[in-house]
Amino acid sequence: KLGRPSELPPEPGPDYEADEDFLRRLHHVLLEVEVLEGALQCPDSGRRFPISRGVPNMLLSEDEA
Amino acid sequence: PPAAQEGAELAAVIGATVPTGFEQTAAEEVQEKLGSASRISRDRGKIYFEVPARSLPQVHRLRSVDNLFVVVQEFKDYKFKESKEDALKDLEDLVKKLPWTDPLKVWELNNSLKKKKTKRKKHNLQSPASREKLSDGGEEGGADQSATIDREDCAQNPVAVEPTGGQDTENPQGVASRNGVEEEEEDNEQLDANAEVQASCESGTKAGEGQTGGGAAVLRFRVTCNRAGDKHSFTSNEAARDFGGAVQEHFQWKADMTNFDVEVLLNIHNNEVVVGIALTEESLHRRNITHFGPTTLRSTLAYGMLRLCDPQPTDIIVDPMCGTGAIPIEGAAEWPYCYHIAGDNNPQAVKRAANNICSLLRKNESKDSSTALGVPLDVIQWDICNLPLRTGSVDIVVTDMPFGKRIGSKKKNWDLYPACLMEMGRICTPGTGRAVLLTQDKKCFAKALSRVGHIWRRAQTVWVNVGGLHAAVYLLRRTWERAEDRRPCW
Repeated sequence: KLGRPSELPPEPGPDYEADEDFLRRLHHVLLEVEVLEGALQCPDSGRRFPISRGVPNMLLSEDEA
Repeated sequence: PPAAQEGAELAAVIGATVPTGFEQTAAEEVQEKLGSASRISRDRGKIYFEVPARSLPQVHRLRSVDNLFVVVQEFKDYKFKESKEDALKDLEDLVKKLPWTDPLKVWELNNSLKKKKTKRKKHNLQSPASREKLSDGGEEGGADQSATIDREDCAQNPVAVEPTGGQDTENPQGVASRNGVEEEEEDNEQLDANAEVQASCESGTKAGEGQTGGGAAVLRFRVTCNRAGDKHSFTSNEAARDFGGAVQEHFQWKADMTNFDVEVLLNIHNNEVVVGIALTEESLHRRNITHFGPTTLRSTLAYGMLRLCDPQPTDIIVDPMCGTGAIPIEGAAEWPYCYHIAGDNNPQAVKRAANNICSLLRKNESKDSSTALGVPLDVIQWDICNLPLRTGSVDIVVTDMPFGKRIGSKKKNWDLYPACLMEMGRICTPGTGRAVLLTQDKKCFAKALSRVGHIWRRAQTVWVNVGGLHAAVYLLRRTWERAEDRRPCW
């Protein structure tokens, strides 16, 4: 989803805890990559939440709350 | 090393001021990191422990400690003479009998550890608005220094503020302590802050004697006296003045209130007298925060709160009302094997928190240039009543709940608190989850808690002092009862 599809499999493999290479890449994406501008998308509703300067805005609108 | 000698190694009895209520927490940290047991003083907010002088760098890295001093001598049961003249004379005579040598060696050693401070202490007090424009310092302690230097200055001038009548004080405004003064300042408007500076200038403490130039080798000193108790015949100002006079006689040092090398501490709490030499110039507690908000929490208090929840590696720790991010930033620095999530609905707060995190990242970068280390910390703008977090997915919730007086209002808290507790209960893992919540609105909190008894149990309460206000930190445990999933949205 970050535009680097080749680096991470869509789901963790069966033995992911032992797969150090996978863990390194996962760690990198989780902790070392920062999305500065973009959006988070809810997988169920499709609702997009904008990210600006690294901070996602997840406030709901009046009707959504 | 200059202090090394055959036989006995130089040891120091260190006194540390800590947020009131968190003495035990601080003692645990000392035990854990220095291997020393602590004594908790009856003068609240202080602990004492002994360490070899070479451990000083580790002592400075303690996160639960505001200020440090080396003890010259402690008197557990000092017998004050009845008349003012006699009592003060006793204090004067005490000076030449005290074992200054080793503590002064410790003070010297401590100096060599401190980075050179190039900024001269200025007398003006900055307005809260201009504090926020301060650029973040890159070096360790640099950021704190630029942010706090003027605020600290005022705290050092008034020697003591005593309640009228000198009654034994539990009242934080009455208790004479530097910390007390500093904290009050955080809340002061510009006008009040200026008034404090003026008051301190008028108080007749041992003042500098107009020396300019002169011997470079001669040390400059001041005496700070804190006095609490209802049976003393003298004021802290008088004690500081006379004790200071004797110190000057004895050492031939020069007295200087603002530009001193040695700060001698004279702490008198009923019959407990402690003479010490300060090892910290400014309080350590601002260390992580370079961008202030109106109610930024001391990082020593944030540390104490986090310790209270006993974070375990891989715990997810959330601060859903993070403000400028004091708690999650302290958390990420000290518990890097947990994941910390900070959120607030206020865009200013979120921006400041993000900036503070950037400063932290930059600090890490300069120390470790080989890899760009990630920090296990994220900031999100969200609504405390509609958290975008899955039910039962969070191990620890830790936050500084809004106080009616400074942000929001007491009336708003009646509605906010129960809603917060419900939502925090939802995201928290049943059974093992816990929450540590700081609030000044204890009545409102108790009422809200009684409504959510099926989700939260009160485990421990710590009474604390925040900016001169009596507040409480509640440790809550999440019951085993599961919360219902509310919305399909998340």
